[in-house]
Amino acid sequence: MSTRDTRPGSTGGDETPGPLHGGPDDDYTPEQLAAMRREELDLLGARYDGVEILHVDPGPEPGSAMERRAVRQVGLTFTLAGVSAFLFLVVYVGSGWFLPEWSWTEEGTVWSALFTPMLGLFMGLSLVLVGAGLVLYTKKLLPHETAVQDKHDGSHFDRVTTGATLVGGYHNSGLPRRKLITRSLGFMGAGVGVMLLAPLGGLINNPSRGNTLGQTAWAEGVRLLRDDGSPVRPGDQEPGSLETVFPAVPGGNRMTDAPTMLIRLRPEQIESLRPREGSEDYGYGDYVAYSKICTHAGCPVSLYEQETSRILCPCHQSMFDVTQGAKPVFGPATRSLPQLPITVDDEGFFVARSDYPEAVGPTYWNRERI
Amino acid sequence: MSTTNPQPDAPLADAGTPVDRARARRRSKHRRRLANVAGLMASLILTGSLYAVLAPAQAADDVTSESAAEAAGRELYERSCISCHGENLEGVPNRGPSLIGVGAASVYFQVHTGRMPLVRQEADAPDKPAVFSDEEIDQLMAYVQANGGGPTLPSGDLREGDLALGGELFRLNCASCHNFVGQGGALSSGKAAPSLEGSSDLEIYTAMLTGPENMPVFGDNQLTPEEKRSIILYVQTIQNMADPGGAGVGRIGPVGEGLVIWVVGMSALLFGIFWMGSKA
Amino acid sequence: MAARTATAPGAPTTRLGKAGLEIDDRLVVAGPLRRTLNKVFPDHWSFLLGEIALYCFIILLLSGTYLTFFYQASMTEVTYDGSYDPLRGIDMSIAYASTLDLSFDVRGGLFMRQLHHWAALMFVAAIVVHLLRIFFTGAFRRPRESNWLIGVVILILALLEGFSGYSLPDDLLSGTGLRIMSAIILAIPVVGTWVHWAVFGGDYIGELIIGRLYIAHVLLIPAILLALIAVHLLILVKQKHTQFPGPGRTEHNVVGNRLFPTFAGKATGLLFVVFGACAALGGLVQINPVWLWGPYNPAQVSAASQPDWYIMWLDGSSRLFPAWDINLPGDYTIPALFWPTAVLPGIVFTLLLFYPMIERKLTGDTASHHLLQRPRDVPVRTSLGMMSIAFYVVLLISGGNDVVADKFDISLNAMTWAGRIGMVLLPPIVYVITYRICLGLQQHDREVLEHGIETGVIRRLPHGEFIEVHQPIGPVDAHGHGQLAYGGAPVPKKMNQVGAARRAVRGFFSPVEEPTAVEIEQRAEGRGLSAGESERELTSSGRPSEGGRPSDGGRPQDPRD
Repeated sequence: MSTRDTRPGSTGGDETPGPLHGGPDDDYTPEQLAAMRREELDLLGARYDGVEILHVDPGPEPGSAMERRAVRQVGLTFTLAGVSAFLFLVVYVGSGWFLPEWSWTEEGTVWSALFTPMLGLFMGLSLVLVGAGLVLYTKKLLPHETAVQDKHDGSHFDRVTTGATLVGGYHNSGLPRRKLITRSLGFMGAGVGVMLLAPLGGLINNPSRGNTLGQTAWAEGVRLLRDDGSPVRPGDQEPGSLETVFPAVPGGNRMTDAPTMLIRLRPEQIESLRPREGSEDYGYGDYVAYSKICTHAGCPVSLYEQETSRILCPCHQSMFDVTQGAKPVFGPATRSLPQLPITVDDEGFFVARSDYPEAVGPTYWNRERI
Repeated sequence: MSTTNPQPDAPLADAGTPVDRARARRRSKHRRRLANVAGLMASLILTGSLYAVLAPAQAADDVTSESAAEAAGRELYERSCISCHGENLEGVPNRGPSLIGVGAASVYFQVHTGRMPLVRQEADAPDKPAVFSDEEIDQLMAYVQANGGGPTLPSGDLREGDLALGGELFRLNCASCHNFVGQGGALSSGKAAPSLEGSSDLEIYTAMLTGPENMPVFGDNQLTPEEKRSIILYVQTIQNMADPGGAGVGRIGPVGEGLVIWVVGMSALLFGIFWMGSKA
Repeated sequence: MAARTATAPGAPTTRLGKAGLEIDDRLVVAGPLRRTLNKVFPDHWSFLLGEIALYCFIILLLSGTYLTFFYQASMTEVTYDGSYDPLRGIDMSIAYASTLDLSFDVRGGLFMRQLHHWAALMFVAAIVVHLLRIFFTGAFRRPRESNWLIGVVILILALLEGFSGYSLPDDLLSGTGLRIMSAIILAIPVVGTWVHWAVFGGDYIGELIIGRLYIAHVLLIPAILLALIAVHLLILVKQKHTQFPGPGRTEHNVVGNRLFPTFAGKATGLLFVVFGACAALGGLVQINPVWLWGPYNPAQVSAASQPDWYIMWLDGSSRLFPAWDINLPGDYTIPALFWPTAVLPGIVFTLLLFYPMIERKLTGDTASHHLLQRPRDVPVRTSLGMMSIAFYVVLLISGGNDVVADKFDISLNAMTWAGRIGMVLLPPIVYVITYRICLGLQQHDREVLEHGIETGVIRRLPHGEFIEVHQPIGPVDAHGHGQLAYGGAPVPKKMNQVGAARRAVRGFFSPVEEPTAVEIEQRAEGRGLSAGESERELTSSGRPSEGGRPSDGGRPQDPRD
């Protein structure tokens, strides 16, 4: 560049002042700018950004009663915010030190019940006051100016020149002519894209493998256990009662599709019993067992009304009638609760006679086919 | 415990496996051991007296001799209950069920919570201040118990149980209708499971034992008396417990919280930005 | 350079100025910074709604990061041995146990958890109110369709983010919610079971879902949200904010305050206020007390199990939808659950996303708009919006209909039927009513422009007739009819709004100004009945159909004063 340049890497150094950044720097020399007041510079810059200050409503007059009052207000707000923050720290740090213990024991102490509310109160108060102080400050002590800024629509010049650059680059690349490259690019893009997504295939499992869908742990001879693992005898329940039972397999009481309601009907309910076709003999004496998993969305249904024989689901309020084979009588559920065929084994405990004859739980596309 | 037990019930089975828990519970274990002895004694006495009460009651079906309490109970019965439950507790169709075999526990629950006598036929019998005094309730209980027997009142400390076990049993058997914390909930067609707030131990116990109205019955073979006491301990502990996180907003979950975020939170902020936007 | 600036006129002399010079020498930020500081923002309270949502998001990022220090996303079963008595000895997942530990054994942990949850509810609420403001004022019109699209996507992601966070503690309430989500996924026709197996890694509930929800909640969705919010703001800055029509406001300018210092002061203040409100709620009002709900167990459930408010409308739609399974030949079924939980939100969000395009198509209005519309001036859109709100509110209330039924002693079945009927019947009724109200308000505006403001002064004419004196807002023609056209800006309807009343003497408890001084000042400013206001020009909104509607001539008119 320059023959005087002896140090490599210093090209364009400070010895060539040249034109600065163009634009306003050409219009205003440093001397001119230095001669202007700060307010004028502010307005000048604003005008350069397309902003016109229409009107300035000056803040309160210095030393006036209004200003003193506003300053007092803002100052008080900030002070209170600080005090609140300090109180927060006192409660947070001091609990268990010079204040009572915060941690929760037994039914909780007064202080441990107040600990979190106090943290919230003081932090909330402190931050709200900081915010309020700032807003008060801008509203009451800053001058209010009304400014107008021009909105620039898109520039035709920019569009045309940018377009020319883009099209020029595309044209120079020769892609429109070199069909082999565009085609191989397309092929490459698709291939690489699919390749990068392919590992997500690890998420895919076949739902029909292992036959977990549509099957439960219930099987012939599997005992009905309570949550604590004890088996159930026909004499254990009173008429008009419900017990949640689980299959006697390891982890049976945590299985999501196994929970079953063992219901002992009252004599009046037996009189009006109208079981579903094909499941007339699923019960045992005055006992019937239905799946606890709602056929609508899978919530455990167990709001059993023993007088009206209804079972209500607390999630979407489907109602099932126990005396009619747990048929849905109201709400969004469409299918009856599946009934578990039960009997009593040699030792006098309830056992299942088989798995549920149909799939338990919410409906899905191919439920009927499983 | 049977070998097929999928989830051994730690709190009940052996309270002392983890050392620290054992230490934390030593005192309550002592207390429980004492209470077990007391409970055994109490249940022995109870069984004896139950037999004493029941046996003559069944024998006295046709015999006219009644105790004084029973006589007073009959008088009360004939004054306040007979129109719906019939002359001989056999019930009146479409008005009131038979009371033969419901037992003293049922009478206690229904009358002590003020559900009976009923004001009018509704979806639910609402609880209200009891009409009868405790003494009168005793007399009514004696009368009903004498005519058909049934579950009787428990005795002893009704909160003598395991807190955590009670919670587990509550969530399994009770929460579905009475809500997580016993706030109650809606049932079908205008009925409702009542809130357990302010219910006495004995009321909860007798409710479980007798299954009033639409509530299922939890007989002693289904929930042992010890499990019932655990449930009562849990319910009462939760009801009396302060909320560690501030106002509980009814402890009904997201509905209350959603109401708060709009009525309190969002409204306050809307007011705030309105103030910010206003001229000084 | 250094040599030149040291001697040049205007070179900084203060330490701060020198530091600024050093920075600008390296980064050249003075120009962009000045442009930013000079940026004009219109001043209206409703323009701060989006900011509330933004600040909630910041709070959520901060408090959420804190929570990750303690929360463990694992479904492995452990026996609880923490401070909370009623659960000690119970088997539960590590996720739930760590949430309990966070609540009871971490100092201030419960406060942070509740702060986070409240901020989440507030976040979605603020987005919804912000969206309504944009909708009803027509701020989504060209050129802002892209920002509307981004905004709706942010809303959808916020719902997903909220639901995944709600599920993380693995308590009985959220587990029930997850159970329903599993049923919803299963209910998708054809691929439902496959999708379920992909999401849950097998049959419900498996051992993976909490971990997967966790990474979605703390990384995937927040990262996308953050990026979208950044783009949302960049586009806003690039396009400049919209403004309501008013004196001096046109399609080609923005009237308001410069960013620095007025707007920055208020915005920072709002950040603190939002933060404070969330903190106050987080400490003072208990939210999601998971210790009361208990650990998740598929056999247990509680009455009144609901999702958080922003998902509640979908719970409501599931409750209301009739029991209509569609059985197809070949023993295939489309479950009833599919319609209210997948199809309905699909339709709702599609309509919402493409509303700007739909409206553009229907009205044929393809022009760029930077001036907002008053809802009354666009009665069809306003009525459509109110209709949608009515529909939404019916579903929302139905989502808690068991609680309503319980607390107000109404039959649950009646609530369900009221919801079913209300969902169909209420929206059209609301549409008609809103439409009428809009027209009425429009007419009143025109009436005041034409006849002036009612002064409340009754005068008796010589022949005995009583008339009310009207104050014309602008110049009047020979018949005393105002000549101002409606410009889309609020029309003053009371004398005080045009300065009939002097400004109040300042001071809340005691006056801080001299009353006589105020009076003199007022008189000097010439504020009075018509002095200033008559010179005020109302600009046209640029819509020819709206400008200068002919008056309803021939109607009997009050004589002018």
